[in-house]
Amino acid sequence: MNDRQPGSEVPAVNFDKLVQRLDDAIQALEESRSFAKTGKLPRVLDIARRVLLQPDGCRVIEERAERLERAGVFDGTDWAEPGILLPTLTTFALQSQNADTVVIEAFSELRLLSVARGNYLHTSVSAEQSHHYLTQALAINLGLLFGMTGEAEREQGKLALISQSVVQYIAQHIGYEHVIDRLIEEIWRILEQRPIQVTDVRRMITQIALCRADSQADLGSAGRGADRLISSLYGPTRACSEDPGTVVYEQRLETMDAQALQNEATGFARSMHDTGLVSPYHASFIRFILADQDTLLSEALGLSSTGRDCLLCYRELVRTLIEEGIYPETAQGIYGLALLLERGILYQPPVAPALWRQARLSLCSQARERLELAYGYQPQPGAWLIQGVLTMLGQPLGVGQGNNPTCQAARALSMWAYNDPDYLLQMVAWAARDNEIVMHFEGQPVSSAKSVGGVASEVAFDLDPVSLVVVPHLDRIYAEMGRQCAERGGDPHQWVNPEFHGWSAGRGFAINVDVATGNLNDLEGFVRYFYASYHPYYNGNQPLIHPQPAGIAVTDSAARFIGWHAITILRVALDPDGEMRVYFFNPNNDSGQNWGDGVKVSTSGYGERFGESSLLFEQFTSRLYIFHYDPLERGEPAEVNEDALLSVTEGVYRSWGRDRLPADTFQAEPPRTE
Amino acid sequence: MSEQTYDPEKGYVALLGWSLNAVEAADKFDRRYVVVAPDWAEAYCEEHDIPYVPWNFERLNDRSVEIAQTLKDMGVDVAIPLFEETVEWAGAINSVLMDKPRLFGQAMLLRDKALMKRRAQLGGIRVGIFEEAHDKGDVIRFLKRVNQTLLKLDGDPNDPIHLKAFDKAGCLGHRVIRTPDEVDTIPEEEFPVLMESHLDGWEFAVEAWIHNGKIAFLNISEYVTLGYSVFVPATPDLEKYRDQIRGEIEKLIKTFDIEFGFIHPEYFVTSDRTMYFGEVAYRPPGFKVFELLERAYGFNAYQGMIMAFDPKTTEEEIQAFFPREVVDAKGYAGCFGVYPRRRVVSKLEVPEETENHEYFESHELTPPLEETVTKRTAFGTHWGLVYFFGEDPYVMRDLLKHQEDLDFYV
Repeated sequence: MNDRQPGSEVPAVNFDKLVQRLDDAIQALEESRSFAKTGKLPRVLDIARRVLLQPDGCRVIEERAERLERAGVFDGTDWAEPGILLPTLTTFALQSQNADTVVIEAFSELRLLSVARGNYLHTSVSAEQSHHYLTQALAINLGLLFGMTGEAEREQGKLALISQSVVQYIAQHIGYEHVIDRLIEEIWRILEQRPIQVTDVRRMITQIALCRADSQADLGSAGRGADRLISSLYGPTRACSEDPGTVVYEQRLETMDAQALQNEATGFARSMHDTGLVSPYHASFIRFILADQDTLLSEALGLSSTGRDCLLCYRELVRTLIEEGIYPETAQGIYGLALLLERGILYQPPVAPALWRQARLSLCSQARERLELAYGYQPQPGAWLIQGVLTMLGQPLGVGQGNNPTCQAARALSMWAYNDPDYLLQMVAWAARDNEIVMHFEGQPVSSAKSVGGVASEVAFDLDPVSLVVVPHLDRIYAEMGRQCAERGGDPHQWVNPEFHGWSAGRGFAINVDVATGNLNDLEGFVRYFYASYHPYYNGNQPLIHPQPAGIAVTDSAARFIGWHAITILRVALDPDGEMRVYFFNPNNDSGQNWGDGVKVSTSGYGERFGESSLLFEQFTSRLYIFHYDPLERGEPAEVNEDALLSVTEGVYRSWGRDRLPADTFQAEPPRTE
Repeated sequence: MSEQTYDPEKGYVALLGWSLNAVEAADKFDRRYVVVAPDWAEAYCEEHDIPYVPWNFERLNDRSVEIAQTLKDMGVDVAIPLFEETVEWAGAINSVLMDKPRLFGQAMLLRDKALMKRRAQLGGIRVGIFEEAHDKGDVIRFLKRVNQTLLKLDGDPNDPIHLKAFDKAGCLGHRVIRTPDEVDTIPEEEFPVLMESHLDGWEFAVEAWIHNGKIAFLNISEYVTLGYSVFVPATPDLEKYRDQIRGEIEKLIKTFDIEFGFIHPEYFVTSDRTMYFGEVAYRPPGFKVFELLERAYGFNAYQGMIMAFDPKTTEEEIQAFFPREVVDAKGYAGCFGVYPRRRVVSKLEVPEETENHEYFESHELTPPLEETVTKRTAFGTHWGLVYFFGEDPYVMRDLLKHQEDLDFYV
């Protein structure tokens, strides 16, 4: 026997050999009969995945793009027809946990890059089209481009590196200047929804600022529109316009006269209300004037008469909240504070004392730890939590679920902040101080400390401070309530939603899906009752009183069913065009979504308030599958006219209801009346 | 799409059973072919224009002659078995096509492990001790008798015995029994089985293409660990037995009276260089050895098989087709069958050291469908293969061995 002992570990990858293997695998695919190609493909995809993980991998694949396509890597998939590809779908492919999907997407994009650069004359797509497509794809995947990774990427593991390097490689060759204008539009679109969590937006703006400062990058005329965004973070006023740093700025403040301070105050306020972003200098300024110029506070917060009135009534409280919670790091809380004052909720008797408790709250170690992990040690976790409370109460519709499957908890937080602020503050106190929340389910206490697991196996850290502390508790309670009615037939939301969200959620429950079969069930009756409960023309012109939880069948841009999602119906009203719209809150982080079949959720331009999403009443109804109502006010099923009814039911059949027609009553269309 | 252009002067072959790699090899080759497979293959063959005759290979029965007649009417010259279950069908069909009734008897011998051993023994080939068992009592008796023969005393650890189904391929139904208690774990429905004494030796397999009763090409496949890994060609440590192995194969050819085709026998070689015959199959080996051969030598083993079966193949063609053994190999190709080591797994994660190894080629592993791993019975089926290719047989051997200590599913 041979007694050689070759080493069992060879760490470094031999790139040339790997590329040789790739070429061999491509050749095997090329030489393969069409009927046997599927058997040869896994090897190509697997080796290509390893090539793409290497620094020069994208170049190697791009050079082979034409060969790969001709060898048949796209055969039988949507990618075979680049003309029909949608840039928006690239995100899903690039974030997929399936390695093959990520690699095929990488192939496709690098192929289009090759076409765009004139190296590959494609039969069905031109260089211009490819260029346009890639620009859009880049704009949509900005997060990847700037290395902003979220939970999706964490789940993906090493695959995320491929997605990132592909997007970055394309950007290098297409040119950042093509992306930046879109990026700016995108940032404005997101900011119009006034999210609480602006970490990503801040990072994107910082990236643009860096690009502009880089003399190497030729931006041409691109990126001009970024001025307001960049200045809102790095220099909103004259005295800090060149971004001198807070230390220098604070020295400057010492020497300013009253007029100069006044100018600073209005400058900060204007910028903040313009973008919803708050500069750290703003926090320095506010802490400075608090000492002996606090008459400027109203100006610096940009308050209207309502807000100013509120400020004057609760001066000491506001002062304390600022002292405890507003630092350059937590500057965003200033915007929350301003909007909180504008909402006038301090006039509700329990809210001010509850905020006093919040200002002095001592945190349990678990809450402290979560906040420190997410936000660092400076300032204190308590300050971050105050910032979180201020922003949530000021922007109840800015709550987002992050990359967590906890839309119910996010929805509940938003609903309470909107509707029941002192209850929200109670929840925060319980979670942050006691590390336990107890709710009641049909009379039985349900404790977050005693419930085993939540819907989310682990709640990630990409959340605002309040969600960070409270959501893990709510999620466990929600899941526990679900478990308590698991035995019952029917949809558990029926019992859980009202118990979980509070007394104002309607006890009546309507669902148009048969839980056992997943098939549609009495769609027409469901629609008629929804009109009767919510549509002002059919419910006696009664505006919605309390926000109501509802369930949506979310569809993608091709109107294919994706999943069930929790939202809140906020109001139903005529839009500026005189059309009836449903305005709702979507705990998703970005609500501007295309649900296919012409249903595009709007977030601005149709009378939406910050954070609201809206759809025409009929379009909304065509994606609705659960709603709650007051059983005492149900009324009669509405005499909805046939056209409207048809438009809703057909919208259902064309989208998520496509495969859900009950077998015995199968019909392509509902019967038409003569 | 089938794009085949065949040479009408050469034979017309029928492939028994569905194997995509075999079909593709045939389609790219110069012999006319037809696939004989169960009707679930029909839609695929129609869609891709693959010549096809439907047939369900259940037990041989009165209707069996139908398929032979159909193929004969089509002008088919020979039937080639691709799986263990189609070996007796090929024998039956070829006895009609070639008008040689003997071929059917030969196939039956090659299908039954007990008959096969007896025949080998008659031919003067060394085999271990073996016996058929019809119930658990037979197994206990055999276990005791074997260990008595080995002069073991009561209380000495027993030498194990091996149980195998008569007519299943490879490791299917293979169990190792050491104590009478373990006999109780054998389900009744597995009987009758073949029992064999354990041979302490080095097990290896051979692939031999036979034309006109002579060996056209002989490969030795080295098992690193049985049921886990194999590579071709073998290390010089095993290749040094090549002449002796060739002699054994020639004996086998003579004993079983094999004129043409392909055989895949397994042997043990003990420390005193004695060869023991294990079993022989008249079909392509498992563990993708054909694919490994193609990687190592560059010739398509299925096409080689078609030539070896085709009665119209000439000696010159054979000479030109097959490379020189061992010296013509461009390197060593091996594969490792992954079986999860943990009881509960959630995802597939190829170890970085494997993935970055210079020899690593690709893998066919798929993400786990369920989290709980069923306990591996005897030599149960692996979850997928990992392929390697490189220049040094010893690096290959140790690399394959090392994979057994790694987690691919975590």
